[in-house]
Amino acid sequence: MMSTMTNERADSPACATASLGNYRFGDLPDPSKWADCVHCGMCLESCPTYEQTGEEQHSPRGRVHLMKSVGEGKLELTPDLLDPIFTCLDCRACTTACPADVDVGGLIEQVRGQLRQAVPLAGWKALVSDVFLKGIFPHPSRLDWLGRLLKLYQKSGLQTLARKTGMLRMMPDHLAEMEAILPSVGTPVRRKYKHQPLIKAKGETKRTVAILTGCVMDVMFSDINEATIRVLTHNGNDVVIVPNQTCCGALHVHAGDRETGRKLAKQNIEAFQDVDYIIVNAAGCGCMLKEYPELFRNDPEWHEKAERFAAKVEDVSKFLHDTGFKPPKAELNVRLTYHDACHLAHGQGIRKEPRALIESIPGVEMVAMPNADRCCGSAGIYNLTHPEMAQAVLESKMQNVPQDVELISMGNPGCMLQMALGVMKHGRNQKIVHTVQLLDWAYQKEEGKDVRI
Amino acid sequence: MRKRSIATNDPHIQALARIVGERAILYRKEDLMAYDCDGFTVHRHLPKAVVFPTSTEQVAAVVRYCHEHDLPFLARGAGTGLSGGAIPLNGEVVISLTRMKRLLHVDLENRRAVVEPGFVNLKLTNSVAHRGYYYAPDPSSQYCCTIGGNVAENAGGAHCLKYGVTTNHILGLEVVLPNGEVIEIGGNGVPDPPGYDLLGLLTGSEGTLGIVTKITVRLLKNPEAKQTVLAYFDEVEDASQTVSDIISAGIVPAALEMMDQTAIEAVEAAAFPVGHPKDIAALLLIEVDGISAGIDEQIDDILAICRRHHVREVKVAQSEEERARWWANRKTGFGAMGAISPDYLVQDGVIPRSRLPEVLREIANISRKYGLRIANIFHAGDGNLHPLVLFDASKPGETERALAAGSECLKACAAVGGSITGEHGVGIEKKEEMRFIFTDEEILAQTAIRDVFNPKNLLNAGKLFPTPGRCVETKMPSTVK
Repeated sequence: MMSTMTNERADSPACATASLGNYRFGDLPDPSKWADCVHCGMCLESCPTYEQTGEEQHSPRGRVHLMKSVGEGKLELTPDLLDPIFTCLDCRACTTACPADVDVGGLIEQVRGQLRQAVPLAGWKALVSDVFLKGIFPHPSRLDWLGRLLKLYQKSGLQTLARKTGMLRMMPDHLAEMEAILPSVGTPVRRKYKHQPLIKAKGETKRTVAILTGCVMDVMFSDINEATIRVLTHNGNDVVIVPNQTCCGALHVHAGDRETGRKLAKQNIEAFQDVDYIIVNAAGCGCMLKEYPELFRNDPEWHEKAERFAAKVEDVSKFLHDTGFKPPKAELNVRLTYHDACHLAHGQGIRKEPRALIESIPGVEMVAMPNADRCCGSAGIYNLTHPEMAQAVLESKMQNVPQDVELISMGNPGCMLQMALGVMKHGRNQKIVHTVQLLDWAYQKEEGKDVRI
Repeated sequence: MRKRSIATNDPHIQALARIVGERAILYRKEDLMAYDCDGFTVHRHLPKAVVFPTSTEQVAAVVRYCHEHDLPFLARGAGTGLSGGAIPLNGEVVISLTRMKRLLHVDLENRRAVVEPGFVNLKLTNSVAHRGYYYAPDPSSQYCCTIGGNVAENAGGAHCLKYGVTTNHILGLEVVLPNGEVIEIGGNGVPDPPGYDLLGLLTGSEGTLGIVTKITVRLLKNPEAKQTVLAYFDEVEDASQTVSDIISAGIVPAALEMMDQTAIEAVEAAAFPVGHPKDIAALLLIEVDGISAGIDEQIDDILAICRRHHVREVKVAQSEEERARWWANRKTGFGAMGAISPDYLVQDGVIPRSRLPEVLREIANISRKYGLRIANIFHAGDGNLHPLVLFDASKPGETERALAAGSECLKACAAVGGSITGEHGVGIEKKEEMRFIFTDEEILAQTAIRDVFNPKNLLNAGKLFPTPGRCVETKMPSTVK
């Protein structure tokens, strides 16, 4: 019946090192997070995976209940727990819906850390995870190298060959589909501005900001990083690209590899210590940077550093909005809709700012998307690890995307790839754009440049 | 979504999987644990399995199988019930209706709709709102609770004061009886069919007479006008007296809700605060609706009554957005308790409105006696109290004290001629308290009706009625570990 009463509560000093029910690895989950849940069920309908399966172990309330049960010693960290805990998209929609503000996403990440240690990855999954999460993402130079390879693949005719010969059909469907929507690779801004530590503001300098170039963002979407720099400098910001910055670690933390997450966090905290503003154009990364303190709950020294770091982080749309951006004067004459990236809307509470930026552009007609803050199924690398569920979630999302728009705007690269996939699969012709790209085009047009959307 | 193959030798699990399919059954402990309770978390028990049928035929086949093999079973919707009606006390096979969630038919000409039981309450209103219609019963959990569950519990809601509870909006049901037979009741549009009122009997039977698989409901036209008032009081007595005077002035508000200071503390600490002052003793949320003519006069009358009772501040919602914020704050009130307490128990007593001040005083006494905080969020207009007993289950003895305090609140309601439940149902939680309002003979008469439908008592056993011959004190059912 009732909870067994053998466990330490949040305020017990022992919980920093001891076990908590059947959680027995370091960096224990925070029991005060599940203590806030009274099992009311108001989260159920907000959850994209519950929508698909109707199963409560795939719902926020059910997952919290299971995670609490492990903490109470009623469940073990077994392989059978992987499905409920790892099928979560970590989209945080439940936190928005929850009357008591239960941090389900944070809890899921902590428990994944425990579960991954109790049930390590094996076989090809372990290999893929090691190669990408440990071998590539944390190393900008290797990412750059991968980007060059990808560019070579796209530009040399190999891509055409692969597509024509049907070689791609040897890959699993979801990977072949992903290949099809890869954007064409440009030059990462890290490389481009390697010898230019500071990009001057246009006109008077109001402040100096650093940007997180990101790992995938800079390889796949360097044009968005370029647009971000132009928009920031247009609005009186000197932009610096801090050299030692690295991947934010979100993918690692989502996957339960909190140790690598902490390593990356420390590197970023040190890399950015001399700047006042850290501007991010990827919602997932921004959310992670703001949550660095969560990774150092048991390390007072780094916790304090992480708090100071997190206070300087802001999403580019909110930063521009709050610092009084210049409304563009040129018209774009385009009909578009806006998709709320989960880690922007639910993770950071940023909803109205990007919309305000877009609506400030003359000639832009914004069509509201129903359930705009519903996950698209991208969720970091979820679409690679859980292709079937990701596809089902994307299907629901696409039902809500208005037909009669030319562009779909958003603030996260993962969503951009996933939504591009949705558009392709549905035979639509909408173009996927980042919010800052819209502003950038309007500013460029204002300066008399020829802009083709 | 993962591929599942049935990895158990249990012949019942395998047989059930053959009926619903391998991807529509849960049987591993790690999955079942999510089904060991509903919105009432004090009692927990693992089900034997959870099945997810997608059609009436599948429900009937599962029920037939359970009936033939003497397996206990019960139906579950979203599991938001507050009295434990969906808790598998006897290790039941849980028949989850969450995948039967289609809106089958909308017939605006005759103002009705047909839904499957797993269809979410608020989605019905959302589906017809653009045509100017809505579904009236609005339990606070309407964002996620299912209409099937609403039928089982005869759910109420804030606006039931004027529009009635679920039973007043049900026109027809398709029901799988506990032996697997499928019957249809009502649904043909005849308002008062001859013979017994089986719709009325089934609605609110708490899942003990059958499993509803199709529901025909009444739709209402949106009221032409709507006004919402928020009033802050320094004394609970003044707020109570205001409620009483509004009703006796002949005004029938669509809703008339009260929250006390502890409740206000919780909702303001939670996710949907509206900035209520924390030092007020009580607030009233009053809504009137209907044709435009006369609405303003009603509002004037309400404001005058509030002022007569020393209201500190009273305001009328200036926009739909403001109104929606006030309601979100109110409707998430129970969940908001998580922000100020690890656990809570909500009671559901009904009293004559005129006895409100006295019963609220008694509840305050009970709170002091047990050393537990009690918040009150309730439908003041129809005298439906919701004392929320706040406790911490991890502290030894506190759960038992909370249960005793809750039971005593109900006793206080019964003592003034009221009832032990208005809309949440009896479930496990209040079955012993049934004795506060019924004699043994009256209870036996009702279980005799249950036995006609459910002779083997395999369907949701151990709910709704006290076990015959037991003494009055609250106790844990023997199956609960």
